[in-house]
Amino acid sequence: MWAYVVRRLAYSLVTVLGVLLLLFVLFFLVTNPDDIARKAVGEKAPPQALEQWKKNHGYDKPRFWNQKHPTDTMLVDHFRRMLTFDFGNSDADDTPIWRRLKSGAGPSLSFMLPLFVLELLLTISLGLLVAFFRETYIDRMGVILCVLAMSISTVLYIIGGQYLIARVLRWFPISGFDPSPSVIARFLAIPVLVGLLSGVGDGVRFYRAVFVEESGKDYVRTARAKGCGEGRILVYHVLRNSLVPILTQVVVVIPYLVMGSILLESFFGIPGLGSITFDAINANDFATLRTMVYLGSLLFILGQILTDVSYTVVDPRVRLE
Amino acid sequence: MEPYVLSNAVAVGLLAGLLWALVSARRSRVWRDAGRELLRRRPIALTVFLAYVAIGLLDSLTWVSASSGGTPQGDSVSLHKPRSTIDRLFPDESYREKSYSAPLADREFLGGAPLRHPGRHLLGTDILGRDVVYQTLKGARVALLVGGFTTLIAIPLALLFGVAAGYFGGRIDDAVFFLISTLASMPSLLLLIALIMALGRGPAQVCLALGITGWVSFARVVRGETLKLRELDYVHAARALGASDLRIVLRHIVPNLMHLVVIAFVLTFSGLVLSEAVLSWLGIGIDGSWGRMIDQARDELSREPIIWWNLVSASVALFGLILAVNLLGDAVRDILDPRTLRERA
Amino acid sequence: MTSARGGLRAGLFLLAALTACTNDPYPAADAGKKLLYLTFDEPPKTLDPQVAYSTIDHLVIGNVYDTLLEYAYLKRPYTLIPGLAMQVPTPQVLPNGKVSYRFRLRDDLLFQDDPAFALDGEGSKTRQVRAQDVAFSLARIADPEVNSPVFETLAKIDGLREFSERLTKLRAEDPRFAQRRIDEQYALAGPIPGVRVAGPLELEIVLSESYPQILYWFAMPFTTPVPWEGVARYDGREGRDLFSEHPTGTGPWKLVDYDKRLRIALRRNPNWYGIRHPEWRAPGATYPETGESGDAAAGRLSPSVVGRALPFLEGIEFRREKESIPAFAKFLQGYYDASGIIKESFDRVIRNGELSPEMAAQGMSLSKSVLPATYYLGFNMDDPVVGREAGEQGRKLREAMSLAIDSKEYTRLFTNDRGIPAQSPIPLGIFGYEEDYRNPYRQVDLDRARALLREAGYPGGIDPKTGAPLKLSFDSPDTSAAALLQYQFFVDAWRKIGLDVSIAATSYNQFQDKIRRGAYQIFQWGWVADYPDPENFLFLLWTPMGRTHGGGPNTANFSDPRYDELFLEMKALGNGERRLELIREMRAILERERPWIELFHPESYLLTQAWLHNEKSPGLSIPTAKYLDINAEQRAELRSAWNRPIRWPAYAAAGLSVLLIVPGILTYLRERQ
Repeated sequence: MWAYVVRRLAYSLVTVLGVLLLLFVLFFLVTNPDDIARKAVGEKAPPQALEQWKKNHGYDKPRFWNQKHPTDTMLVDHFRRMLTFDFGNSDADDTPIWRRLKSGAGPSLSFMLPLFVLELLLTISLGLLVAFFRETYIDRMGVILCVLAMSISTVLYIIGGQYLIARVLRWFPISGFDPSPSVIARFLAIPVLVGLLSGVGDGVRFYRAVFVEESGKDYVRTARAKGCGEGRILVYHVLRNSLVPILTQVVVVIPYLVMGSILLESFFGIPGLGSITFDAINANDFATLRTMVYLGSLLFILGQILTDVSYTVVDPRVRLE
Repeated sequence: MEPYVLSNAVAVGLLAGLLWALVSARRSRVWRDAGRELLRRRPIALTVFLAYVAIGLLDSLTWVSASSGGTPQGDSVSLHKPRSTIDRLFPDESYREKSYSAPLADREFLGGAPLRHPGRHLLGTDILGRDVVYQTLKGARVALLVGGFTTLIAIPLALLFGVAAGYFGGRIDDAVFFLISTLASMPSLLLLIALIMALGRGPAQVCLALGITGWVSFARVVRGETLKLRELDYVHAARALGASDLRIVLRHIVPNLMHLVVIAFVLTFSGLVLSEAVLSWLGIGIDGSWGRMIDQARDELSREPIIWWNLVSASVALFGLILAVNLLGDAVRDILDPRTLRERA
Repeated sequence: MTSARGGLRAGLFLLAALTACTNDPYPAADAGKKLLYLTFDEPPKTLDPQVAYSTIDHLVIGNVYDTLLEYAYLKRPYTLIPGLAMQVPTPQVLPNGKVSYRFRLRDDLLFQDDPAFALDGEGSKTRQVRAQDVAFSLARIADPEVNSPVFETLAKIDGLREFSERLTKLRAEDPRFAQRRIDEQYALAGPIPGVRVAGPLELEIVLSESYPQILYWFAMPFTTPVPWEGVARYDGREGRDLFSEHPTGTGPWKLVDYDKRLRIALRRNPNWYGIRHPEWRAPGATYPETGESGDAAAGRLSPSVVGRALPFLEGIEFRREKESIPAFAKFLQGYYDASGIIKESFDRVIRNGELSPEMAAQGMSLSKSVLPATYYLGFNMDDPVVGREAGEQGRKLREAMSLAIDSKEYTRLFTNDRGIPAQSPIPLGIFGYEEDYRNPYRQVDLDRARALLREAGYPGGIDPKTGAPLKLSFDSPDTSAAALLQYQFFVDAWRKIGLDVSIAATSYNQFQDKIRRGAYQIFQWGWVADYPDPENFLFLLWTPMGRTHGGGPNTANFSDPRYDELFLEMKALGNGERRLELIREMRAILERERPWIELFHPESYLLTQAWLHNEKSPGLSIPTAKYLDINAEQRAELRSAWNRPIRWPAYAAAGLSVLLIVPGILTYLRERQ
């Protein structure tokens, strides 16, 4: 297994290099450093200030090839800095990006973790419920409700949730955030609810399909023939044997736990990484944006390795070679 | 060449391609049966979807003509512009108001002055007095463009890379797999945003960006399926008979992937249209889309008295299309392939 | 196992969420405090007083740094009063034609406590404010590395430009020089003749030409005293803050929390002279005894505040609100103390120009003021079609386009009539604004516009070269849905006279690029006064301010020799008959040439809650928080009365889901049998 993990890591490194190359193409080849600098230093700044800014941010170097110092180029810089996690300063206001990441990770996690756990519990239990009642009107209604829920744009859930819960019913604050433990829950209530609603349709449908397929298998039939109760079968046999697809689904979400949700965070005023990304888009802050994409990819790749390894734990039949 | 001629040509080309695909599909019994089955299972969803397509087509063919009426103070600008059938059904001079009016109202919403065209606005007008029915109808073309045009970018890409990787294997497979895992490991919304920021803003750029991010997961499926097909007896037989690789791929592999293509098309479609709504919300969507309308209208919901008709019209139109496509997608998947794509639900 | 712990956590979370069922966004501990709650949408770019230029930057900096001069709180037109200085100086013309101003600082002024002053060790210390600190600020403005936006304007100070050049040269020649402490660098770069420190508290400013507006600059944060210790210490290295995020000021408030994306908190600065020396009764630290006619009626001159020492509040809390609608909803719930009115809720809040009965019943009050600002559409005069190259033809085209735009309708649709149609660049409240002046090209007249188009060679809007309507482009860096709707309004208006204007809304970078290349035709812009003087508006059309060539704010690239001549004379004069004459002639040039289509001067409607006292909209971006007072008990009472949650739908939803599940189970049992 260790050989596998090492090989997997080596392969991941290649993927990371691919991601970095793509980021270079997107953020250094297509964009013009002069424009980024102009936006950052302001329209009234003299040309020297512009040059100074470009120098401070490393945008004054040649892109690929430097006759005198072959390693002193944007390309080399980009790879070196990203691989050593030296992200530099924001293009918009010169804040160190690391400081931003630190300040944003907490709020994102405190919002995404409850959302993730609740969503997992809700979708799996609803999925079980619908699978339990399969082929009855509850099942058909459930599937239709799921498709309906999936067909509504997240944007509409946001508008509706805020309008109804915060303005009409006055249950929770409309937006905002305060990390102190006594008040944090009330700020997260509506965004978590909206997140749940917008994800539940997709999730329930997925788990229903998994459970229905699993419960058609031979061993389940045997259990049923032995007189095992349907509820017991679902929980003890079907759920347990569906852990692999569940795990796969869970890992996909891991990067978002930290990276946050751009849409929900920025609209509800949660100062997490998602809303940092949103601000970076609006401020043309390329340095922050590419860091975010890079970190998101890293987390995803890590998550995939973890899934593969955890398969062996969950399902002894799986062996990594 | 005028740009509108080009866009007409694209529309006609798409339509012709679609018709050709339908006609050639009718020749095969499998496809004919599948079509019947779909019609039997989802008659309503199919009709609704076709209605959207019809509206989109009506709005896609544009031509310049000075024929349409024209009062003395006529709008000479639009007379010189290419206009579609939909544009002609809602000429400015008989549908334009000064500002908001409620559905079927005869007075202005703000101030209460009499409307120019009382009772003509089934769904009211927006802040600039433009008819909401008209704008909602115009949105159909954008949605189809986003969904359809983008899948037309994504699917050939996926086929090309997926088949090449699966069929030839070796170095090519390594390279393609590297490309796929690189793209797949980037958070899709972020990659989309980065692409649009790099490519610039505009309908073509948005479609291209969606296409570039959209082909990856499908390419994986194609690759897996090709791996299986490659080992089938008749492919081995064809190879033994000395058929060229190109011929094998075109005659034996690709046709057997078509059911996956159809499923992928329907399943990706709704995701793409919803993505555009999110992009609009982030301020980088396409002009005239329902997403843009929702974005413009979300503030109006807080107006007192409330202005709901813009938001509701765009949302219902969007919802209707997505629901129809989702229902069709489910059915198509069940009919054509009950197993392969299950994991991608 | 993870799911069990996760379930526990989720359960706790749910429980917490349910019991905390309140929409109060603040910690309970702050409930009774005299804190002012306000909002900001975009975070400040910088808190460096020599650099900051935006309204939100000044909202923080203005409260943290005091200026030598201030504006009288209640007086209109705006009048300067002494702040940190003992009096408002009068100009003296020197024998060599230069003009001198002498400032004397108050005795015993202190900076706020800060570790930067503890040069030899730990802890927070302070030190006295000296004339040298003002000189240091002016040197910073000239320092190219500081990148101050006002350097060009203040380069009228004798020798400031030469100082800047010397500094650059020394830094380039000697790398060791650039490593020295910042105040030593300035000292070595030599004295600035126009900034003479005449004594510990005495400062003389000498201008190389007459520029009466200079005094207004001493009422802005750019010239506030700055301690070199703060600049030297907060360099962002080794975990230290940046000076642009760590102010070391002299004002009534000090910054205690600066989380740009969430919260900016200010609290009383115990070192402020008004708090340490109320017995001075200094004009900047005492509530004024007289005001305008309306002030007494608005409760701004109640005996309980008049003549009392400032400030009244304990602190200010700014909360980030990116979206205007939630922010306004929170204001209506009582969680903000003052707010503008968003257009979405305008009809609910305002009836016939007055506060609606419901709002009045909640005890809110409304104050209106026309801002010293002008919004306009501009033509790029360097453009071959709409600009000066097209000569007579271009001028008539611009005139025709000007005649098609209805400002009144525009403000009705987009600002709820908050704004008065503009006739010239100069807004109400600024010298040179004449109430009865009507610009003949700013009245809507489509027939005349069509006639002018015909004369311009575009009959019916048709461009003879193509046989189709003349194509123009409206360039903008704003792609938001709201902005596009507004541009569409102009496009529709021009369409009525047969012109085919398309909106080219691009990203900021692409727009910048177009500006640099001069490849733009029509744009929309606004200008808010820095100080109440017509020069601050008319310079926007002065040739040396040209955008494409000089990078100045004259985005129209307007250039007219006669206008420039008049401008130079007008600038140097004090307000009077001759100045008005010059302004009228300049206005006539603009009226005919139409580089701008003046749209409107915005009007601000400010809503304040019943518990907030003494509010008066300043118009200019100047700090007023020290004059405000809050009744914290009343606020707490009203807040809880306004925000009782409606709970029954929660119970109803729970009941409904039970109703759904039970028949489900029954059906299941039946079908399984």
